Amino acid sequence: MAARTEHDERADTSTAPPPAPRRRGRHPVATAVSVFGELLITAGLVLALFVAYSLWWTNVLADREADRQGDTVRSRWADGPGALDTKDGIGFLHVPAMKNGEVLVKKGTDPETLNNGIAGYYTDPVESALPWDDEGNFTLAAHRDGHGAKFHNIHQLKNGDPVVFETKDTWYVYKVYKTLPETSKFNVDVIQPVPEESGVKEPGRYITLTTCTPVYTSKYRYIVWGELERTEKVDKDRTKPVELR
Amino acid sequence: MYGWIWRHLPGNAWVRGVISLVLVLAVVYALFQYVFPWAEPLLPFGDVTVDGESAGGAGADQ
Repeated sequence: MAARTEHDERADTSTAPPPAPRRRGRHPVATAVSVFGELLITAGLVLALFVAYSLWWTNVLADREADRQGDTVRSRWADGPGALDTKDGIGFLHVPAMKNGEVLVKKGTDPETLNNGIAGYYTDPVESALPWDDEGNFTLAAHRDGHGAKFHNIHQLKNGDPVVFETKDTWYVYKVYKTLPETSKFNVDVIQPVPEESGVKEPGRYITLTTCTPVYTSKYRYIVWGELERTEKVDKDRTKPVELR
Repeated sequence: MYGWIWRHLPGNAWVRGVISLVLVLAVVYALFQYVFPWAEPLLPFGDVTVDGESAGGAGADQ
């Protein structure tokens, strides 16, 4: 208040509530409490910003990067079906029940890969099979929230839902036959070549989707298994299989 | 703390307001560009893989 009467350079001319005018000789405890309170408010704002960063900004960045990388692959494929081409990504995953368009799939499940808004196939702890292998388990991971959140709607998948993987020359149509809504993050059995936990005993051509659950946390893993139903050759118009129309 | 900063900014209330806004934006930028990307892998919100070893072990999984 004293400052206002002096009309000096530091005068606070705003009519808003004055920001805690400090009288000289204010009790040090009062000052300490005031600073502590402001630090708490600051911490709250920073945490709120972190939520915005995690759930919004990382999606913006990842979707942009995924579009760019997807365009790269699409332009490599532009000359027609031709032979298998896995450079810059092995293909695109289409899961109509997840309503998330197409997801580029690349090698590896390290954060640097997955943070680009794509799905990765496992190289560790159990090496994934690839869709064109005679048998094995094609195991994928992607983010549930943030960084593109490509598997956000994994809980929408029901038995019988199609999961289609598109390579340059072939559509691989899988059908979901088992979902596991919650398992330990240490449970590597779910991505074995013959995922016996899903009830199968014989070698076959399986697909496994893994992501974290519940949403917004990483306490457990959500697993969806599918089995190859048929393949279709890609024609020159890249006509989609009936499951995607 | 904020009162102290306000009283040490130059100019009248408008100039201080503009400077304050720039400072806030600079802090938010630094958080989004440097602090959060650094902090995120240290927090257990983005792990999506199954991993036989320990959580976040071997750098292969978050």
